[in-house]
Amino acid sequence: MPGVGALRLESSGSLLTREGDPRSGRNRTRLSVQKAVAISVAALTMLTVAGSTAVAAAPPTFQELEESLTCQCGCGLTVASCNHLQCPSAIPLRQEIRTQMAQGLSKEAILAYFANKYGEKILSSPTTVGFNLTAWIMPFLALAAGGALVGVTLVRWRRARRQVPAEGAPPKPADQAGPSPYENILERELKNFDV
Amino acid sequence: MIDVGALAIGLGLILALYSVVMSLGGAWWRRSDFIASAEHAALAVWGMALIASIALLQALVRHDFNIEYVASYTSTTLPLYYTVAAFWGGQQGSLLFWLLILASFSAVVLLQNREQNRDLMPYVNAVLMSTATFFFLLLTFVTPPFERLSFTPVEGRDLNPLLQNYWMTIHPPSLYVGFVGFAVPFAFAIAALATGKLGDVWIRTTRRWTLFAWFSLGLGNLFGALWAYEVLGWGGYWAWDPVENAAIMPWFTGTAFLHSVIIQEKKNMLKVWNMVLIMLTFSLTIFGTFLTRSGVISSVHSFTQSGLGPFFLAFLALEVVVSIALLVWRLPQLRSENELDSLLSRESAFLFNNLILVAIAFAVFWGTMFPVISEAVRGVKITVGPPFFNKVNAPLGLALLFLTGVGPVIAWRRASWANLQRNFAKPVIAGLIGGVALFGAGVRSYWALVSFSLVFFVLATIVVEFYRGTRARQAMVGENALQALSRLIGKNRRRYGGYVVHLGVVMAFAGITGTSVFRVERQVTVNEGQTFEVGSHTLRYNGLEERDTPHIAYMTANVSLLKDGRPVETLKPEKRFYKKPEQPTTEVAIRSTLGSDLYLVLGSYDEDTRMVTILAYVNPLISFLWMGGVVITLGTVLAMWPSRVAVRARAFASQAPSEEAVS
Repeated sequence: MPGVGALRLESSGSLLTREGDPRSGRNRTRLSVQKAVAISVAALTMLTVAGSTAVAAAPPTFQELEESLTCQCGCGLTVASCNHLQCPSAIPLRQEIRTQMAQGLSKEAILAYFANKYGEKILSSPTTVGFNLTAWIMPFLALAAGGALVGVTLVRWRRARRQVPAEGAPPKPADQAGPSPYENILERELKNFDV
Repeated sequence: MIDVGALAIGLGLILALYSVVMSLGGAWWRRSDFIASAEHAALAVWGMALIASIALLQALVRHDFNIEYVASYTSTTLPLYYTVAAFWGGQQGSLLFWLLILASFSAVVLLQNREQNRDLMPYVNAVLMSTATFFFLLLTFVTPPFERLSFTPVEGRDLNPLLQNYWMTIHPPSLYVGFVGFAVPFAFAIAALATGKLGDVWIRTTRRWTLFAWFSLGLGNLFGALWAYEVLGWGGYWAWDPVENAAIMPWFTGTAFLHSVIIQEKKNMLKVWNMVLIMLTFSLTIFGTFLTRSGVISSVHSFTQSGLGPFFLAFLALEVVVSIALLVWRLPQLRSENELDSLLSRESAFLFNNLILVAIAFAVFWGTMFPVISEAVRGVKITVGPPFFNKVNAPLGLALLFLTGVGPVIAWRRASWANLQRNFAKPVIAGLIGGVALFGAGVRSYWALVSFSLVFFVLATIVVEFYRGTRARQAMVGENALQALSRLIGKNRRRYGGYVVHLGVVMAFAGITGTSVFRVERQVTVNEGQTFEVGSHTLRYNGLEERDTPHIAYMTANVSLLKDGRPVETLKPEKRFYKKPEQPTTEVAIRSTLGSDLYLVLGSYDEDTRMVTILAYVNPLISFLWMGGVVITLGTVLAMWPSRVAVRARAFASQAPSEEAVS
C-alpha cells in the first residue's frame, strides 16, 4: 500500500552549523541530519549530535536542497515538488538556491541561510536540536518501549508455560519424524470436510 | 424536496437518539419490546439518511443554486458525473455521506443479526446509533446541508478542479466505507465488554466486516495515491499530507488488529490487546474525519474550514473515555491464560508485527501533530514534511516486510532449528541471490539492496507455501498439480487469501522502493522541434495545441517519444483552465510500461515563442504498486468468500446452537 511509506530510501549524511539560534541563546548550534538508519537508534543520534564536530560535507546538489525546503505557497509540498505555474514561492526560492550554491556554500550553510531568512518552517523536516529532537526520537523511543513491553510479556508467558505443564501430551516439536505437518493437516481436513 | 431533506435530518436525529435510549433501556430492564422498537428506529434512521441524501442529490442534479451547497460546489457546465460526486466533494455533503454509509451498515448489521447475537445487539445498536446521533447533530446544528441563500445565483462556483478526476469520484467513497466499516467491529467490541461475553464471538461475527473495512480503507488510500499521481503532477503519489496521514493511520492499526485477532481465535490470547486495537482504530477514523474536516492542520485537503473541530474532539473524548472505562471494568475477566512455548514462534512473530504496525501508526501520528506540539511548546512554527516521514518509516517498513515473510510460515508454539531451516533456508537463499544479483547489476543503494532482498525473501516464502501445499495434496489425493492447487486454495481460502494479499503487499513494496530510489527527474526548456533526453528516453517537442470548451480551456504540448530517431508514441502533457473558479490545473501525460512510467508535466509555456518548460520523470516499477493493489483485492475477495465448509458449519450451528461451530 502507498502508506507503508513512500519510502525515500536514500541516505544523506551531513552536518549543519549555523549561526545565531535565537532561542537557545548560544551562537553556534550544531545540526546533524544522520542517515535514516542511525536515527533508528535514538541514543546514537544524540551521541552523534553531541560528538560530531566535523563531518566533511560533499557539495550539495540542487535537488537535495530543493527537497530540504518547503514551498511557502500553501501547497504543502517541498520546493522540488511544487509545480504551480508562476508559483510565487517555489520559483524565487529556486533562484535563491542557485545563488547560494554559486557561492560554493555547504548544504548546512545554505539551509541555515534559508532558516534565518524565512523562519524554521521553511525546512522540510525538523532540525535535530533542542525540542525538535523529540520529533525524531519519539517514534523510536515508542518502538523501544513497545519492544521492551513485548519482550517482557513474551518472557512472562513462557515462564507461565513452564510452571504449568500442559495437561495432555507435552508439546511436540513441529519437525518430528513421520509425515510432514502439512500432510497431517491436509489429512485431517480431508477427513473432516471432503464429501 | 429540499424541505423534506431538511426534515429528514431533524427526524433522523430524534430517531437515532431514541434508538440509543431504547436499546440501552431494553438491555437494562430486559425489555425485548424496547429493543425491537430501538431496532425499528435504527432502520428508520437509515430511511431518513437516504431521503436526505436523495434530496441533496436531486438539488445538485437540478442545479438548485438557491441551496448554498449546490452553489458552492457545482455549476451548470459541470459534467453530471462530477455533479453527483459533488455530494461528497464539500463539507456538509461529505458528512451526510458518512452518515448514509453508517446508517446503511447499521441496517445491514441489524438484519444479519435478527436471529443471532441477540444479547450483544442492543449495545451494538446503541454504539452505532450514538455515532449516527453525533453526525445528525452536526448536520442539524453546525453544518446544515440544505441551507438556503438569500438570493438565487445564476451560476454556481463549480467543483474544485482538482477534484474533477475519476479517481476522485471513487477515492472518497472507498475511504469512507473503510472508515465507517470499522465502526461495526468496534460496536461489537463494546457490546462484548458491556455484556461480559468476552470470547471470540464478537471477533468471528465481525471478521468479514473488519476485512471489508480494512480493504476499502487500503483501496481508498491507493485511489488517493493514484489521484495524486495523475492530478497533482509532481511525479509522486504520496506526500505525507496531514489528511493522507489521517487516512493511513487507522489502516495500520486495522492491519495490526486483523492479524492479532487470529491469535485470539487460535490461542485465546491477546484479548485485552485486541480490544485496545479496535478502539484505537475506530478512534483514529473519527480523528481522521476530524483532521479532514476541521482545518486544524493546514493541508491540501482542508477544502473548507469550519467550527466543527470542538464537536469532533468532544465526541472523540466521550468515545475514548467510555471505551477505556469499559475496558478497565472488564480487565479482570479479560486476562487470559497466556502461555508461550518459545520466543521463536508464530505467536511472537505476530506480536512483533503488531508492534511495528502500531509504531508506524504512532510515527505518522507524531509527525502529523508535531507542528502543533512545537507551536504550543516553543511558539515556533515548523514543518514536518515528506523527508521526515520517509526517513522514520523506511526502517520500520523494512522490518514489517521482513515479518511479512516470517509470520505466516514460522511454526506455531515452537520453532525448532530444523523447522526454521526447512521453512526459511530456500527463501533466505532467494533473498541473498536477489541482493547479490542486483549488486552485480550495479545497484549501490543500501536501501534498495535491503528492500529488494527482502522482497525476494518474502516472495520465496509465499511460493514455497503454495508449492508444498500443492505437492502434499498431490501425494495424498493423487490430483494433478492444477487441481491440487485450486483445491488447496478452495479449502483454505482464508489462509491462501492472506498469502495472496501478502503477495500484493510485496509488489507494492517493490514499486515504492523502485520509485523512491531509482526515480529520474529532469526539467527542460525547449523550442518547437527540439529533442531532449530523460533517462534512456529521447523525446521531441513538436508544438503547442489550444482547445476551448465552455467549461475548460486546454493548452497541450505535443511531445513525441523517439526510437532510432522515429516517433513511436505521442504524449500530451496539458494545462487546463477551469473557467468558473478561474483555476489552472495540470494534466500529466503518462506512458506506462511494466518496468517504468515516463511521466511528463507541462510546467510553463510562452504563447508567442511557443517555448515550453517540461518536467520529465521516469518512475521505475511504479506499476507494481498499482498491480499490488489489484492483487490485494483478489486476495481479500478470496479470504472473504464464504467457503462451503463454513456454510455447512453454520447450518450445523443453527441446528445445535454452539459458540464454537463456525471455523
